[in-house]
Amino acid sequence: MGFLLWLIPVISVPVFGIVKNRKVLHAVSLIVSAAMLPIVGFATLDVLNGGVLEYDGLGGMFYLDPLSVIILDIVLIIGFFAAIFSVSYIEEELKHGKIAEGKVNLYYMLMYIFMFTMVLALSVRNMGVMWIAIEATTLASAFLVGFYNDKQAIEATWKYVIICSVGIAIAMLGIIFLHMSSSGSISGSQLLNWTALYGNADKLNGPVLRLAFIFILIGFGTKAGLAPMHTWLPDAHSQAPSPISALLSGVLLNSAMYAIIRTVSIVNRNQGGSLFTGRILIAAGMLSIITAAIFILTQKDYKRLLAYSSIEHMGIIAVAIGLFTPAAVFGALFHMINHSFTKSMLFLSSGSVLQKYGTREISRIKGLLKALPVTGTVFFLGLFAIAGTPPFSVFASEFNILAAIFEGRNYLLGSVLAVLLAVIFAGIASVLFRIFWRTSGESGVHGASGVHGVPEVAGVPGVHGVSDVRGESGVSADLPDAGEGSVKPGEVNIPGAVIIVVLLAVTLVTGFFMPAGLRELLENARQIIIGG
Amino acid sequence: MDNYNQVLSVLILLTSFMLMANKRIKSYIGTFRLQSALIALTAGIMGIRAAMAEGSIDVLVVSIIIIALKVIYIPNLLHKTFSGVEYKVEKDFFLNIPLLILICCGLVVFSYFSVSRVAGGSDGIMNAEVVNSISLVLIGLFFMISRRKAIGQIVGFLVIENGIFITAMFSTNGMPFIVDIGVFIDIITAVLIMGIIVFKINEKFDSIDINKLKNLRG
Repeated sequence: MGFLLWLIPVISVPVFGIVKNRKVLHAVSLIVSAAMLPIVGFATLDVLNGGVLEYDGLGGMFYLDPLSVIILDIVLIIGFFAAIFSVSYIEEELKHGKIAEGKVNLYYMLMYIFMFTMVLALSVRNMGVMWIAIEATTLASAFLVGFYNDKQAIEATWKYVIICSVGIAIAMLGIIFLHMSSSGSISGSQLLNWTALYGNADKLNGPVLRLAFIFILIGFGTKAGLAPMHTWLPDAHSQAPSPISALLSGVLLNSAMYAIIRTVSIVNRNQGGSLFTGRILIAAGMLSIITAAIFILTQKDYKRLLAYSSIEHMGIIAVAIGLFTPAAVFGALFHMINHSFTKSMLFLSSGSVLQKYGTREISRIKGLLKALPVTGTVFFLGLFAIAGTPPFSVFASEFNILAAIFEGRNYLLGSVLAVLLAVIFAGIASVLFRIFWRTSGESGVHGASGVHGVPEVAGVPGVHGVSDVRGESGVSADLPDAGEGSVKPGEVNIPGAVIIVVLLAVTLVTGFFMPAGLRELLENARQIIIGG
Repeated sequence: MDNYNQVLSVLILLTSFMLMANKRIKSYIGTFRLQSALIALTAGIMGIRAAMAEGSIDVLVVSIIIIALKVIYIPNLLHKTFSGVEYKVEKDFFLNIPLLILICCGLVVFSYFSVSRVAGGSDGIMNAEVVNSISLVLIGLFFMISRRKAIGQIVGFLVIENGIFITAMFSTNGMPFIVDIGVFIDIITAVLIMGIIVFKINEKFDSIDINKLKNLRG
């Protein structure tokens, strides 16, 4: 049954290539992504009951344990949300002529190849095959990043493909050293199997394994967006269509981080402690957080802001994994979940904002709460959530991690991290201020009469924001579907708005309350990483 | 028999120096072809030995794939891409060639000292061949940053892949077969995608000079 997770997306790809009718395309996409959910749900239950899910077929390649099933759940849930959001998003882009009719097929084909490669990376036992799948994620998403085919998108694609391919090639060198360190202790069909490597960790060749870890961290760290290998990330995330940005940020980064975690647990078991991996991971993580803090403070583009925030959160996860105490690892896994949901919610809402205003510049967004009441509210609350404000879930897991750091008596690290988080909060708060407060102040002055408010909200973004990207026709096209009042231009993407509200509810609820099943999964995953 | 391996690994390293000294895009595609041929030869010799000793033809198959892919198909593809985008010969590097060669020598020395210390003491599996292959990876990386043209970067990426493949051959007699096949599929797709993007860069920027890609900052 687990093989269906591989089979369904693979079968769907040719279907997306053949079908010409756009409505059917959307329907197939929704059905495929929805069909994966119950399957992965059953797989999760199996893992909860049995510990692991594995089959004898295909040389025992398929393997799920609590660690991989958590991330697999995130992939498929966010994939489903992105699929729903894509329907209206694509229709809107077609209406404004930003993409050609025939490219819808390409979009869905690449999106589901991308999904398949991520599912594959998370559900194989063999580290070599995992590498192949992660490299394939780059290749599958390359043209999604460059989907709009303009100068900036092409530049982002080139950077993405070159930097990530080279990075992943370096990870291959690491996998080779991993393979080499096991020569003599593992043989035959067990070669490079994670379970075999982990089981025989104490027999592996220590120095070679350490070398392997460094190469793997650099390689997969490139893909996970750790500084200083992060340079592709803001470009790719800001240029990609928003549902794809949500997938890149919420899902792809986790898959790369997952590969690092798998390696860390082998190396630490071999070395008998986390001293070696811990130092490197904490250094890389802190550097990422510092880099992100600097760029967030000076950011002018809201999609790039979100991208830098992803670098920050990956840094936090790396620091927590580096600490390797039970509480820290638990916090790291929980943080992965929370970051994915919050960030994909933000990227999806930024998609609606972008379609409404036609600009990525923070300074040109005015009257967001009036133009997009639901998306604007979610965007507002989501920015608070991602900055780590209670009662949202990101706060809960960041608090877990900070508490774990102080519990381990790493006072210096803890205080520096807390200061950096405060700086990032200030950066994001200033963005919030620029988007929301200033405008409500302005319209408070003018909008009192109610007459002035009409040209202001409908006109200002129309003339300054929309016209230079979409042309005058874009403005007139925007106004008729304004919906209810002429003051409120209305939502561009109704199903999308529902999705992001659901996501907001999820991040809010997990901030207070963790379901027993989730807690058990996280505990089991933590045991797999730490051992014992 | 080890002598053959050592001679081949030194020859492969030498081709990477040749590559660094090449001025024209055409000539470094040719050098890449030569390097891949040597790698295929190495894999072929190892494959024949493995076939005679254990009766497994995995490595032999891999060597044939290398000939088809890296000696014939990818260089031809690069030639096609190159003739499709280039209309004038420009200087492609910003450091002069003697300096580049000296830096490459430095990289070889660096990898000798760093790699041979890591594990040389334990059971001697880090041999001279592995040092040479890792130098090849580093030179490939350096080649990527020393060239300004998009095609130069693709060749650099392929040299890195060659270096990694040959590291795997010399250190562990190759990866598990399925991994090798998967890697080849990934490489061919990567090169195809990069080729398409080169065309697009040429179309949008009227050049394949990477230094013109400067729109996204901060």
